[in-house]
Amino acid sequence: MVIDLKRCVSCHSCTAACKAEHSTPPGVFWAKVVRVESGRYPTVVRQGLPLLCMNCKEPECEKVCPTGATKKRPNGIVVVVSDICVGCRYCSVACPYGARYFAEDWKDYFTGTKEPSSIYAEHLRKRWLEESDRGVVSKCNFCVDRAEAGRTPACVEACPCEARTFGDLDDPESEASQLIVKRRGMQLHSEYGTEPSVYYLPAR
Amino acid sequence: MDILQYEDFQPGPRAQMEWGFGGRRRWRDGALLMALFLGGIGAGQFVVSTWLVESVTSAFIGLLLVGVGKTVAHLVYLGQPARFYRLLLRPRTSWISRGLIFMVAFVGLAAAYLAPELGFEWVPWTSESSFGQALWLAAVATAALVMVYDGFVLASCKSITSWNTALMPPLFFTYAVAGGVAMTYLTMTVGGGELLDRETLVRLDAMLLTTMFALVVIYITNMAGSTAAARESLRRLTSTRLAIAFIGLAIGAGLLVPLALTYYHEFATEGALASTLLAASAILELAGDLSVRHSILRAGLHVPVFSEGL
Repeated sequence: MVIDLKRCVSCHSCTAACKAEHSTPPGVFWAKVVRVESGRYPTVVRQGLPLLCMNCKEPECEKVCPTGATKKRPNGIVVVVSDICVGCRYCSVACPYGARYFAEDWKDYFTGTKEPSSIYAEHLRKRWLEESDRGVVSKCNFCVDRAEAGRTPACVEACPCEARTFGDLDDPESEASQLIVKRRGMQLHSEYGTEPSVYYLPAR
Repeated sequence: MDILQYEDFQPGPRAQMEWGFGGRRRWRDGALLMALFLGGIGAGQFVVSTWLVESVTSAFIGLLLVGVGKTVAHLVYLGQPARFYRLLLRPRTSWISRGLIFMVAFVGLAAAYLAPELGFEWVPWTSESSFGQALWLAAVATAALVMVYDGFVLASCKSITSWNTALMPPLFFTYAVAGGVAMTYLTMTVGGGELLDRETLVRLDAMLLTTMFALVVIYITNMAGSTAAARESLRRLTSTRLAIAFIGLAIGAGLLVPLALTYYHEFATEGALASTLLAASAILELAGDLSVRHSILRAGLHVPVFSEGL
């Protein structure tokens, strides 16, 4: 995935789309936008930095996982098998990007309790427990079901500024690969050797 | 919930919210801290009790601290405790798997070694036989691994610079041995057992306390000269509420006071006073051990995910 920081306006559409797609409970943000301020007066820059799981080629989370619940698929997407995860959270601690979330149980958005407050909430609870589980770690999986059906992830589809581009990084002709070359795309914390699959195109 | 979401959206160094008291689940996440603490002092107590003091009761308490205390604490902490056996499956890459294997091996070997002394006389070996001695040697080796592995677990986290240091394993190991000495002393004092060579134990304790103090000073110096996140960790350890646990309990009450008491007890004219001073020193050492582990966990900050210039 390639994210153009010049285009991102920090509208949090990606966060909302992700929540709608995966029914994540309160406190779980597979996709989020962190506001960053840099520089010194009078040249201060405020920039939104969309964050999600980097689906690294050499994922730290996969290395440290004691159960093998974190797996890298042949297409490069890193997934958590919730039936195997024990909720030790070593992966959350080891992940340099803060992309992993632990949910002890599903909670209703409006009441904050484990009991769904409406039929809609009951539907969300069922979907969340189907996708993940209580007491385990979850994270962005590039909407793996959509990706395997040839569709783009929900955050990419929802971005009103078209700041996100999803494609095959192993294909040098893909739009994503081309953007990385032309706009000098960079990875976050490449010094850890994790080889993130999310590239950022600089805002300036 | 508000604080946790604040940490998740924090643009600067981000506190780890998974391990230790005050994590995402507040008190329940503290069970992991207790597991590290009980594992360290329990394994240390077994080694000290069997090597220096030859007390079966004390060694058995050490074994219980690991086999029951640490195990229960781990199960309380886990999100899915029914799947705990899966933790043993990836020793090739995960320090948690390795640590749990060391723990299971230690409990098995230590129980086998102590079995004849605990009334299981039908076992075909005695603790003095060559097989018994081999069991003891293997139990001591696995106990050492139990004491040191949590240091490796923390040191393997690359993005938490205050943990990602080669000092973590020796620091945790030394604290575990000192905790073992303190527990042995307390067990012997409370149980009214005869402490054959108290002076050796006291000398060992003084040496360990000095080493721990030196390691803590090196750790602090290291953080002061490291990344911005490590310096922020140091600031939290020394000038926020965490300073009460780190400077007050871990360094002051847990290191300096026991060190002073250990040296001062020699000047106590009455034997009872000397014993009381040493017992007080042992209790403070244990409190310091717990505090230093708590402080290190709580001061763990992830390096910010972005750098200026994006």
